[in-house]
Amino acid sequence: MNAAYFVRRLVAVLLVLLTVSLAVFVITMILPGNAAVMILGEYATEDQLRALSEELGLDRPWHVQYLGWLGGMLAGDWGMSMRLSLPVTTVIGEAFWRSAALAAGALATVSIIAIPLGVAAAMRRGTGLDLGIGLFAYLGTAVPEFVTATLLLIFLAGPSSGLFPAGGYIPADKSLPGFLYHMVLPVATLSLILTAHIVRQVRSEMSDVLGSDYVRAARLKGLSEREVILRHALPNALAPAVAVISLDVGYLLGGILVVEEVFAWPGLGRLIIYALQNRDLPVIQAATLTLAATYALSNLVSDIVIAVLDPRVRYA
Amino acid sequence: MNDAGGNGSAEDLARAAAIAIERYSLAYSTAAGPFHALKSVSLTIPQGRTVGLVGESGSGKTSLAWAIMRYLPPNAVEGPGVIRLGGENLIEKSPAEIASIRGRRISMVFQDPSASLNPTLRIGDQISEVLMRHQKLTQKEALEEAAAALERTGIHRPRDIMRRYPHQASGGEKQRVVLATAFACGPECIIFDEPTTALDVITARQILDLFVRLRDDTGVSALYISHDLALVSRIAHEVAVIREGEIVERGRPAELFSSPKRDYTRALIAAAPRPENRLVTSRIAPAAEPLLSVRKANVRFGQPTRLQRLLGQTRAPVDALKSVAITVRPGEILGIVGESGSGKSTLARVIAGLQDFTGEIGFADRRFARRPDLDRSYRRSVQIIFQHPDASLNPRQRVKTILSRPLRLYDLARRGEIEDRVASLLSRVLLPANFSTRYPHQLSGGEKQRVAIARAFAAEPKLVVCDEITSSLDVSVQASIARLLVEIQAATRAACIFITHDLNLVRQLAHRIGVMNRGELVDMFETGDVNAADRHPYTRELMEAVAVPPWG
Amino acid sequence: MRDLLRHPTGVVGASLLLVIFLAVVAGPSLAPYDPQSFHPQARLQGPSATFWLGTDQFGRDVLSRILHGARATVLFGLGATLAGVSVGALIGITAGVAGRWIDSLIMRLLDGMLAVPDLLFTLLIVTVIGSSTGNAMLAVAVAFSPGMARIARSAVLSVRTRDFVQAAIARGESRAYIIGAEVLPNTIGPVIVEASIRVSFAIMLGATLGFLGLGAQPPSTEWGLMIAEARQFMFRNPWCVAAPGLAIAIAALGFNLFGDALRDILDPRGRR
Repeated sequence: MNAAYFVRRLVAVLLVLLTVSLAVFVITMILPGNAAVMILGEYATEDQLRALSEELGLDRPWHVQYLGWLGGMLAGDWGMSMRLSLPVTTVIGEAFWRSAALAAGALATVSIIAIPLGVAAAMRRGTGLDLGIGLFAYLGTAVPEFVTATLLLIFLAGPSSGLFPAGGYIPADKSLPGFLYHMVLPVATLSLILTAHIVRQVRSEMSDVLGSDYVRAARLKGLSEREVILRHALPNALAPAVAVISLDVGYLLGGILVVEEVFAWPGLGRLIIYALQNRDLPVIQAATLTLAATYALSNLVSDIVIAVLDPRVRYA
Repeated sequence: MNDAGGNGSAEDLARAAAIAIERYSLAYSTAAGPFHALKSVSLTIPQGRTVGLVGESGSGKTSLAWAIMRYLPPNAVEGPGVIRLGGENLIEKSPAEIASIRGRRISMVFQDPSASLNPTLRIGDQISEVLMRHQKLTQKEALEEAAAALERTGIHRPRDIMRRYPHQASGGEKQRVVLATAFACGPECIIFDEPTTALDVITARQILDLFVRLRDDTGVSALYISHDLALVSRIAHEVAVIREGEIVERGRPAELFSSPKRDYTRALIAAAPRPENRLVTSRIAPAAEPLLSVRKANVRFGQPTRLQRLLGQTRAPVDALKSVAITVRPGEILGIVGESGSGKSTLARVIAGLQDFTGEIGFADRRFARRPDLDRSYRRSVQIIFQHPDASLNPRQRVKTILSRPLRLYDLARRGEIEDRVASLLSRVLLPANFSTRYPHQLSGGEKQRVAIARAFAAEPKLVVCDEITSSLDVSVQASIARLLVEIQAATRAACIFITHDLNLVRQLAHRIGVMNRGELVDMFETGDVNAADRHPYTRELMEAVAVPPWG
Repeated sequence: MRDLLRHPTGVVGASLLLVIFLAVVAGPSLAPYDPQSFHPQARLQGPSATFWLGTDQFGRDVLSRILHGARATVLFGLGATLAGVSVGALIGITAGVAGRWIDSLIMRLLDGMLAVPDLLFTLLIVTVIGSSTGNAMLAVAVAFSPGMARIARSAVLSVRTRDFVQAAIARGESRAYIIGAEVLPNTIGPVIVEASIRVSFAIMLGATLGFLGLGAQPPSTEWGLMIAEARQFMFRNPWCVAAPGLAIAIAALGFNLFGDALRDILDPRGRR
């Protein structure tokens, strides 16, 4: 594998994050005109505004503000949360891992289910199985997360069924079974949607590949259908599917916001919404950057996966 | 005409049939009703013999190959008839039996080696898997056998190639891999579907020779499918001509060529370009003042920018044109031949003003040193026609818009006259006037190319650059387009640069021929001197590689 | 158009869209009840003969509310997408046509903006400029622009190298003509396809914003907002959530399928 390729992509990621930081900074600090007014609200007194402005350094020219802020971020000083009186790093750190648990659960579930479903649908094109899977895939991408989440709540967590808790969180170190138990519904919601997206892509790419000349050549060599699918079809379908799926990851990161809100799961998403509602500027900025960084890194990972799957990319 | 065995000799009749097709019919059920691809076809491929199947696109020749390999789409409806392999009827076999037969007793070689090799699997694995499947070898044994098979196809360091991925091998190497795979398990019969069409002239000749050697060594039977009657006649023991699902004529190549019985066969023979059939009759004074003179034209791709050099990304730049100098005399047809990568298309684009270059273009009495210098007067006088008819017309414009554009741009007609001029342009390229309201997707490939020609000549140019304008067309259409071009050129006395890889065609219609190889112009001569002693070795190599129709 | 009818996904998509447009255009007139009027005796009821989709916690007819809310939800999606597509296509076409450093600069900026997930971007903007339907539409439009710019740019780049554009350049056509007559008409296709699919995302985003209280505000009957208001009572009457949820799904699905069918038709290579 080309080390230079990897380095170039890493540099690109850093540039992107720089741009994001600028955008976030501009939106949150500059646009409202006076960030202090935005934070304290319309009824703040002159003194309060002045004190906050000094504290935040809002009277300095904006590029100085930006560089100061950026320097702080890079040095690891993410400031103090205005509402929670805790260091932002602490707050985000804990929230991040809780969200990561959901994401990991969803990814694990999806890896087992989604790809085989997509392959099965492509292989049985036009049959009832294909139509059924296709319908599920389309519906899954047309129903917003909050609807899926709420419906799951109604049917699986309601007083009539009472199978799962209607939200909430128990730390893993207090009770592992409790932790997992509360994870089920949010992970299920995310998995349903992720599966729908992935099945759609895999089905489409696999269909294309199954009609390609080299799959035909493989069949005409007398290879078993299993060999044809696993050795010839699948590797060629996965690479382009991964490329498209990585674009969906951004959409799904947004989904985590909603899912955590509906299920009251105290992860990064819920934190952002709370911070937005309460105008907690440092938290908003740092959390947005964290999410953007996660997205950018996941794209990097998917690029690596594609390079592994497709030798034309490796040995360009 | 349709009797099995045809005009074979007594010896042939005595041979057992490797494959015997008896009155086989095939149809595809489509939304528009059944499409009869094969109509009661009978064909015998005797053991150890090569049978050529010649037809144009849509004739059913490929469908026959699929029928033998039992690889038919779900909407295929097979009529009566049998296909026997060594006496056994393939139609009655179960899928498992067919899978066992494929690759082992019958194998297939396809047209495009780039498309028929899995891009994500190493080459060695793609050969060895056939051996492991049918001969139950271990991976180590299979790889060794694969190396031996590759060596038999003339690849000297097989292990190197086997480690690579398909995109890292050349077209010729890939086709040898496909051949090696097909021969690997010692099949009774191999079907070849246009195996040399996608290759360069010289590589194609090498593969053809390789095919002959391998089949003579192994005694395998072969069905060789092609659109090229001349090529097939050199290597087949018997040739069958297929048209619209029916075999219209068959026989030994010599007899077919010397005394064709059917009109269609005659037409096919006539359509293949033969150098003796000169299409141009005019002569050009050798000392005439050149219309166009290109001096020291250089084109370099991929020169790293400063930033790239800073980052250490120095990929070697490619010199597409190296100090090329050509001249074109007024009214002359200059042919340029070369294989892919020779730079002939780059030269076309430089002359047409589409490619930046260093050097000088002299036209009439003007000199241009850079692309931006080429002004409207030059661009009107020098027109270009491209290879792919589908890509050269704007799909959203009607034919009349496409043709009226040059008239408007160069102020060649007043508003009221445009419609008449468009009609006369269409009639000049032998298209009906009512085509002017059509969109490109409503035209055939040949018709689209005619419109492209009309568009080029609408500007009343002094020089028309034709970049492989017949290469994407069917053989019979190619001949008519070539004839049309020559007629218009003679009538308008425009000069023409005709770029092609088809040496036979260029000898038919060029006054002079230039040969390009790897960005350099290696040879330039009057057409009549093609066999003279002072020809460049590469020119001679090209001449030897081309299959000249042997008879007629 | 005839091609569309031959396509199964196109047929389904078009039928769904027909239903949706009927609701948008004629919804309020078709609604049996006033969406805001209470029927205190019939609160939180399931579907019945009087109230086809049941009632909510105030006894308001769910069906009427949905029919009224079609405008808010669907027009939001269309409006936001139209704005985002216009701005995005303009930027993308400029980048594709200008080339070289302008193109690189624009692409870097777009990459940065695309690194923030759509919902988050929208939330940020809405927090700053205030929550209302109009602001939410603006936010979604801004969030969509980079993606659309990308699509438009790649469409322009792929057309630029086609032979008929090269033929125009060789003829010596002016830049304006080449862009206007040769490039643009062939760029519209992919842009329209992407736009149709984006409408479905815009509808879902709008509903999500409404759900979070950051988009449409009461007394609007926007479908996401309806679900938010019904959340507390969802166990008592799931229809309050299921019905608007289904409506959102139908709208998003309709545009999604329609866009997919369009893509299949316009793609010259034709996926099998």
